[in-house]
Amino acid sequence: MSDEEHHFESKADAGASKTYPQQAGTIRKNGYIVIKNRPCKVVEVSTSKTGKHGHAKCHFVGIDIFNAKKLEDIVPSSHNCDVPHVNRTDYQLIDISEDGFVSLLTENGNTKDDLRLPTDESLLSQIKEGFESGKDLVVSVMSAMGEEQICALKDIGPK
Amino acid sequence: MQGFSDGAAGAGVGVDLAQLQSTMHTIEVACTSIQMHINPTAAEATILSLSQSPQPYKACQFILENSQVANARFQAAAAIRDAAIREWGFLSAEDRRNLISFCLCFVMQHASSPEGYVQAKVSSVAAQLMKRGWLDFKPEEKEAFLYQVNQAILGGHGVDVQFIGVNFLESLVSEFSPSTSSAMGLPREFHEQCRRSLELNYLKTFYCWARDAALSVTNKIVESDAAIPEVKVCNAALRLMLQILNWEFQNDTNSMKAGINVFSAGIRNDTASTKRSECVIVQPGPAWRDVLILSGHVGWLLGLYAALRQKFSQKFPREGYWLDCPIAVSARKLIVQFCSLTGTIFPSDNGKMQENHLLQLLSEILQWIDPPDAVAKAIEEGKSESEMLDGCRGLLSIATVMTPFVFDQLLKAIRPFGTLTLLSNLMCEVVKVLMTNNTDEETWSWEARDILLDTWTILLLPMDGSGGDAVLPPEGKHAAANLFGMIVESELKVASASVANDDGDSDYLQASISAMDERLSSYALIARAAIDVTIPLLTRLFSERFARLHQGRGIIDPTETLEELYSLLLITGHVLADEGDGETPLVPTAIQMHFVDIVEGEKHPVVVLSGAIIRFAEQSMDPGVRATVFSPRLMEAVIWFLARWSHTYLMPLEEANSHLSHDYERQLQSINSRKALLSFFGEHNQGKTVLSIIVHISMMTLMSYPGEKDLQGLTCHHLLPTLVRRKSVCHQLVSLDSWRDLANAFTNEKAFFLLSSANQRSLAQTLVLSASGLRNLEASNQFVRSLMVHMTTYLVELSNKNDLKNVAQQPDIIMSVSCLLERLRGAASAAEPRTQRAIYEMGISVMNPVLLLLEVYKHESAVVYLLLKFIVDWVDGQISYLEGQETASVIDFCMRLLQLYSSHNIGKISVSLSSTLLSEAKTEKYKDLRALLQLLSSLCSKDLVDFSSDSVEVTGTNISQVVFFGLHIITPLISLELLKYPKLCHDYFSLLSHILEVYPETLAQLNSDAFAHILGTLDFGLHHQDGDIVNMCLGALKALASYHYREVCAGKTGLGSHAAGGNIAEGIFSRFLRSLLQLLLFEDYSPDLVGSAADALLPLILCEQGLYQRLGNELIERQTNPTLKSRLANALHSLTSANHLSSTLDRVNYQRFRKNLNSFLIEVRGFLRTM
Repeated sequence: MSDEEHHFESKADAGASKTYPQQAGTIRKNGYIVIKNRPCKVVEVSTSKTGKHGHAKCHFVGIDIFNAKKLEDIVPSSHNCDVPHVNRTDYQLIDISEDGFVSLLTENGNTKDDLRLPTDESLLSQIKEGFESGKDLVVSVMSAMGEEQICALKDIGPK
Repeated sequence: MQGFSDGAAGAGVGVDLAQLQSTMHTIEVACTSIQMHINPTAAEATILSLSQSPQPYKACQFILENSQVANARFQAAAAIRDAAIREWGFLSAEDRRNLISFCLCFVMQHASSPEGYVQAKVSSVAAQLMKRGWLDFKPEEKEAFLYQVNQAILGGHGVDVQFIGVNFLESLVSEFSPSTSSAMGLPREFHEQCRRSLELNYLKTFYCWARDAALSVTNKIVESDAAIPEVKVCNAALRLMLQILNWEFQNDTNSMKAGINVFSAGIRNDTASTKRSECVIVQPGPAWRDVLILSGHVGWLLGLYAALRQKFSQKFPREGYWLDCPIAVSARKLIVQFCSLTGTIFPSDNGKMQENHLLQLLSEILQWIDPPDAVAKAIEEGKSESEMLDGCRGLLSIATVMTPFVFDQLLKAIRPFGTLTLLSNLMCEVVKVLMTNNTDEETWSWEARDILLDTWTILLLPMDGSGGDAVLPPEGKHAAANLFGMIVESELKVASASVANDDGDSDYLQASISAMDERLSSYALIARAAIDVTIPLLTRLFSERFARLHQGRGIIDPTETLEELYSLLLITGHVLADEGDGETPLVPTAIQMHFVDIVEGEKHPVVVLSGAIIRFAEQSMDPGVRATVFSPRLMEAVIWFLARWSHTYLMPLEEANSHLSHDYERQLQSINSRKALLSFFGEHNQGKTVLSIIVHISMMTLMSYPGEKDLQGLTCHHLLPTLVRRKSVCHQLVSLDSWRDLANAFTNEKAFFLLSSANQRSLAQTLVLSASGLRNLEASNQFVRSLMVHMTTYLVELSNKNDLKNVAQQPDIIMSVSCLLERLRGAASAAEPRTQRAIYEMGISVMNPVLLLLEVYKHESAVVYLLLKFIVDWVDGQISYLEGQETASVIDFCMRLLQLYSSHNIGKISVSLSSTLLSEAKTEKYKDLRALLQLLSSLCSKDLVDFSSDSVEVTGTNISQVVFFGLHIITPLISLELLKYPKLCHDYFSLLSHILEVYPETLAQLNSDAFAHILGTLDFGLHHQDGDIVNMCLGALKALASYHYREVCAGKTGLGSHAAGGNIAEGIFSRFLRSLLQLLLFEDYSPDLVGSAADALLPLILCEQGLYQRLGNELIERQTNPTLKSRLANALHSLTSANHLSSTLDRVNYQRFRKNLNSFLIEVRGFLRTM
């Protein structure tokens, strides 16, 4: 599954690098980091020393931004870590199809139809209810390392 | 809910035995089920309903006398207490007396009951009720109760009753002592009057009773070989005496003033010493002299302890168990308490009587601690340490009441050496024990060391007024020098041993310093007491270790030596210099006054020591040495030391003249030696060189220790800010090449962009602050401009890019943007009048980019927060300087910022599978909003502090409208959910109450949605748990209601339609009048709030008089009991009419109403709350 997705997206954002190197010491809480090849949001950073008179190392606790799994890593603070390129794009929601896909309006007027509805119950019901009551909804789609997912929605109100 | 009321109580008619029994049964079941943990909530509710039912006394008394379940009796006693305190106001005098005497008789009759806790509870209930009625009872009523107690204590009714009597007095005294009393819903004055009455009229009598009780049983105890019940009485009596001596005597303070000169000889009467130590000073005043001093009471106490000690050590020579038995513990505590006796209880005889008193105590205490080595050895072999620790506490107490000199002399009367020598020997033994078994567990030696260190601190801390450090006699200096040597030896040993047991979680400098700070500063005091010896000692220890490092380079593992140096640096830093606490610390007096024969700077021992350390630090510039010697941890200690040292010694302020000693020649010499020391690192001597070295070292830590956040944090937050704190240093700094290098590296060097964000910010702030060292305004501004121009240009260029939207999302761009924003924020927070122009221009130049970035980074909460914080700090620093036109444009910008932020966030819902990420998202939102509230507060301040030449109104800007408009934008974002964050809640309500107080008229102009939202939050705040918040809401209400009332009186509309309310909703003032009355009468709140509640209630009542009448009538109608009904009616009447209350809103009237409300609540809350 993940292999398949990998191929698909490397085609999608060709040219843009998926990750950037950054010194471990500069990565802060609320930033992003790649741990075990997964894009994570850092929720905790702590530093300690290797031995009393050794060098500092950083201990990261991250949460996978797509599947919410908790991951941890320890890196010497002068070494580099990978930081994922996390992109968020807003689309207007046009339609929800029967088979669980959404239809989104892109900035240049095309539609984007390859995104599945989220599995999360509350979001799902909010999107559906909002859509059925005829509100104008904008969804934010977060993409990183070849995966994408709806991460927020916003009611821009009846115009 | 079951009713436990026994109806017409007091009359005692119609009480059904069966009903009482069923109540008892219900309570017993509830108590048992709590214990078995079966449905505890229901059981608790049952018990609570007993204490909340009206007049449950018969039932409770029945349970107390008949129940077999001890817990049920306990709960019944508690219920009597709760109900009686609540209903006290309308119990008849006879009922009150009966309740107390019931409790007293109950405990006396059941004195031998095995369930001691029930007895203790009942006697504390008796004590509380007694206090509740203390000011109403006639003297003969009190006498009657106390006679009963005295009879019990005399021992005629047996040992158990005697014990109960003493026990009751213990409860009574603790109930009257302000720190342990229960509130009982009464104002502070009541407690204060009770306290005074007890202290003046009863306390001494109680003490004598306790003493007599103890005297009556001691013979038996000393003669008997087995454990006998009399021990219990004696112990209780000793405890009561201790408790009475712990009383905060206040009637002595009046006479203290007259007595001050009398005690000049050897007894310190500075109040500061009491604040410093944990030690309580006992000052009962002259009235106690006969009982405590002249009667030979102390001799008796010491005799008792000595006799018991003798007896037990003969019987069980090898066992120390008796040392810990309660009677020994209480006796020792009392003895230690007697050591802190001081004040006017001693006559004005130059301290003779006090010295004799202390000598008597010391000679007993001496047996517990002398000879120190033997005592320490015995404890290590298993003897109990409690006696030795109490001995140390005794020394601490004596040190608290005596000057060092008299303290030292005291022992000379009976030993060939002084007390200081004893203290030093004792502590050396303790330190030796600490050294040999170095564990993490808290052992007796830890505790002993802490007590003894406190003793030294008390003795050596400079006494206020006299200004100088305490001077020790020569023998004492010698003792201090010995002790310091031992301490350093032990600290070094601990340090080198700690390398071996490294368990990964090595403590960081800041943490270890703050944990050790108190200890280290005590060490420093000891070292300064013998500074002539200890400075050379430290110098020698340093040079030994430097040499060891050099000889062993590459051959021996240096870790142990590094750790020793780490410790030495911390100790030396404390010895040489004081923590500034925001002020510039002077060179410690001990160092200024000694070394008088040294007039050449470079030979001054302090200069030698400092020089050695600085030269050592300088070696870190060599990459090879750095790699092998200067570990990050050692470097942290070096930077910490340099910061502390340079704050005091680097280019110090010259003092014009000194006032050191009376001896002219000596003075001259000491001035010369001081000069030599002070000028050596001054501007015209080595100062500049050393400063440059320090700047180089700082820069090196930022470049060559990548990722070492703690070390870099110390440099950026500690060392560099220290350098820019004083103008004289700033002058030198800006002329140094090294400082220019630092500024260049800051703008260009990649390594500096890798520093953590807080460090970036602090560095920018420091560099901008140093601009104040430049000679003229233009140069200062130019310095700031050239420092910041790269950064603003970058942001402007970035925001002008066509593909900004794509580029901006790249992690490396996000990182640089965050980094630059941090720097801008740092610079903005360093705004001073001198550099204000440059910083204003800096902000103006990035206004557009800020808005553009806010748009592109709307999903990147971390960047959004930085943007907001930068603007907040910038506006905060600038607003008061801005001219009208500038203010208008800044305000316009802020409003655009608020609107943009709001349009991104209103109606937005974050979605994530992870609850952690969701709560993070909420926290981020909270932080943003808090920043925005701060922004509004800063804007508000323009109306209060304004340095501009023209007024803001000239350009048509009305700050109040701006702030309300801002509030209008952000209030929809502040949900009640978010107000659960305490800081946000606090900020929001303080802003709200501020603007409602200052601009109530603008509120009327808000649209109804925003208005309703603001009032909704106000209502929420009124019921908040935090008293501060409720207070602010009450303040806001007061402001609103009084504004409206005044306007209406003046024939204007006031809040107009908002106040009147629409066709359906009632007006806001009616709503708040209702909810405030509800709160005051029926809910729980802190008594401190009554004052501000009164201030809000008065204008509300005046605004809505009709409704108030109606509510009052409703309350009265609801009351079924005719007596209570008329009480309530009277109380309501006097609330608005007593004390000549008028219908104006002036200070006097507010004060009258506060008084009225207080008495109203005391009068009626008791029965209203039970309904």
